[in-house]
Amino acid sequence: MSAPRADVMTEAWRVPPVSVLLAAVALIACAEVGGASMVQWKPEVTRWARDTMLARPAVHGLVGVRDVDEQILDEALTRLDGGLRLFHLHAEGMGTVIIVTTMVATTLVASDTLRRAIVVLLTVGGAVYPFGYLLWSALIPFAGVTPAKRIAEWVVWIPFGSAAIAATWLLVWALGTRLVTRRRQPT
Amino acid sequence: MILSRRVTRPPLVVVFVAVLLLALGASAGAVMGKLRPETERYARARVAANAPAHGLTGSAEYDDEVIARAVFSAEAGLSFFHTHAQGLPPIVLLAGTLVATCVPWRRCRGILQTLLAAGALFPLGYLVYALAVLEVGRDAGVALAERWVLTPLGSLVIVALLGLVTALARGRSRPA
Repeated sequence: MSAPRADVMTEAWRVPPVSVLLAAVALIACAEVGGASMVQWKPEVTRWARDTMLARPAVHGLVGVRDVDEQILDEALTRLDGGLRLFHLHAEGMGTVIIVTTMVATTLVASDTLRRAIVVLLTVGGAVYPFGYLLWSALIPFAGVTPAKRIAEWVVWIPFGSAAIAATWLLVWALGTRLVTRRRQPT
Repeated sequence: MILSRRVTRPPLVVVFVAVLLLALGASAGAVMGKLRPETERYARARVAANAPAHGLTGSAEYDDEVIARAVFSAEAGLSFFHTHAQGLPPIVLLAGTLVATCVPWRRCRGILQTLLAAGALFPLGYLVYALAVLEVGRDAGVALAERWVLTPLGSLVIVALLGLVTALARGRSRPA
């Protein structure tokens, strides 16, 4: 028989809404598919990216000198591959983080409005943010490394990443307030 | 019956520390991405300000290499902080949940949760690593962070997880 537990230890986890779990698990599934696709279709992706870049010499600063151009193409292809890897890593990581943080919010944030806001921001921000890496990779052959990065930053990383970060700090604030309030309460 | 058992959450302080680390890790990722030039400039300025610690000689060719290595190490520390601060908290919350749910001894639960809460701070060691490299030199900074932060806090997590494994094994062998 277990020893009796203090009040703080007897509370059970609450499961976040199914839509949140669905988004998180779908994101993890996308990460797995992305990782597998990177390996399976690496030659095809590289060939497509190379052909697309060669068709746009001005965008990539290609000068027609093989030694110079090959270096530029190699660097762009490395960045493209890096973007795909970062999508794989961030999608796996954020899927887990969404489940964990929304479970914490669902269980421990008392205010309905604050809880909903945190859960929505974490889910939307966390689920969309990793796709910025996919967008960056996809745009590199068309727009070049730096312009593609700028587009991904403004369209995905900054708005959705900021939403997820703001929600996590809101959660920290809510938990901190709860912790302080609990300690001040007379036993 | 195990399948019908409620999944109990860890104490609030463990949850708070884990979520705080997640927030810090996510913010570090944003700093690494958006403020990279500013971070590099700051790192270079700190290395220059601590020239003796880095063994700068005044020879541009040699100094540039030393500075580049120190800046790279500081950026690596920030990157490690980001990855560990995003990866460790879910593990701490999972382990804390297992402790709260499956360990039947109150004192044992308290010790394991304390170890997990303290050990959850392990990623901060990489922040110390990044800053110490700039302030006291590359090798001395890495050694300082490893000796005083990473090893002690990492050991706490390992001890907590081994303790959890032992408690689960002992709890399993107890008569129902």
